Amino acid sequence: MDSIFSRAESAHDKDDGVKCGLESLEVKDDQSLRNEAVGSQDSFSSVKLENDPESSFARSDSDQDQYNDDQDNDNDHDHDQDQDNDETGDTHLNRAASALEDILSNTSSFSKPAASTKSDMKDNSESNDAFHESIMLPKSCSSDKRDKKKEMKSRRELEEEEREKMQVLVSNFTEEQLDRYEMYRRSAFPKAAIKRLMQTITGCSVSQNVVIAMSGIAKVFVGEIVEEALDVMETQGESGPLQPKHLREAIRRLRLKGQIPNGRPRKPMFHF
Amino acid sequence: MVTLDETFEQFEEEETDVHLGSTLSGRKRLFSKELRCMMYGFGDDQNPYTESVDLLEDLVIEFITEMTHKAMEVGRTGRVQVEDIVFLVRKDSRKYARVKDLLTMNEELKKARKAFDEVKYAGETPVS
Repeated sequence: MDSIFSRAESAHDKDDGVKCGLESLEVKDDQSLRNEAVGSQDSFSSVKLENDPESSFARSDSDQDQYNDDQDNDNDHDHDQDQDNDETGDTHLNRAASALEDILSNTSSFSKPAASTKSDMKDNSESNDAFHESIMLPKSCSSDKRDKKKEMKSRRELEEEEREKMQVLVSNFTEEQLDRYEMYRRSAFPKAAIKRLMQTITGCSVSQNVVIAMSGIAKVFVGEIVEEALDVMETQGESGPLQPKHLREAIRRLRLKGQIPNGRPRKPMFHF
Repeated sequence: MVTLDETFEQFEEEETDVHLGSTLSGRKRLFSKELRCMMYGFGDDQNPYTESVDLLEDLVIEFITEMTHKAMEVGRTGRVQVEDIVFLVRKDSRKYARVKDLLTMNEELKKARKAFDEVKYAGETPVS
């Protein structure tokens, strides 16, 4: 009897847990979801696992397979039809909730769902290895590796895509744009001067990596100011070379944002 | 020859704008040429104003000075190390990403150069 009551309570918690899982699914790449429905299925199963570490797995395994099949159909169905995540969020939830309630009526009590992080999933799967041996272990273990590989692949894919896009963009530049882009890429602060400056300030030698890092940061700093100053100039409706007043206004704005280190504000020296 | 021209210009400027003789702008201009190219690359006109370039140079030197001072206080006191700089820009996503990129690329280049040198050495020994 007690288990029924706790099940009823945890039904709501379970919905929230599924919501978390679904949100994490939706946040992933559409591409990876469409290509690897199995992967998403695995992540769902691992979310479910982390939600009920105490349930008896012999009984729930069959139900989980059923659950996974339902989810598989749901995922394929949804992703084939719907491109828009916002609209289908509710339909996802409704289907998932109804599927869950079917399972909940059959299986034992569930514990409170924890926040779904990768480490939590791993810990739970490791602690329940003995139970998972028969069916779940191969999936959950390899799913972690596969997920990581997929992440690596998608990162590499993203990098390659970005490189291709840059190539296409640069190939369509006008002469003037090409010139400016070349200046943007090639300009840099002279390492010798930076090294000399830093050694004068510190009084001791600085390594080469430090000089490389500092010149890189200084270039980004200049870029931020020039971009902000161009914004200021545009707002004021002027054009032509940047004037010191635009730069000063840009500096003022960036200082308010906290992007310019201003040291420690000193106490006023004289009292009035 | 270019530096001689720059010092000539600077002498003239110093004679006319003596009241601007704060310690920063009294120093010889370190980054004039590079800063001009950089400003053009970031969107300014092809010939930026000299005053703008000077203002930016002062700003950059102040920035580097502040960062160096802060880095000396963080981590190992009195010294500036790469980790200190990375720590100081951790909040600024752009600068942080740039530093990480630069250091990673530097490592890769070093490895590539080392591998290339080893191949070259291996190629030379049988001949000699």
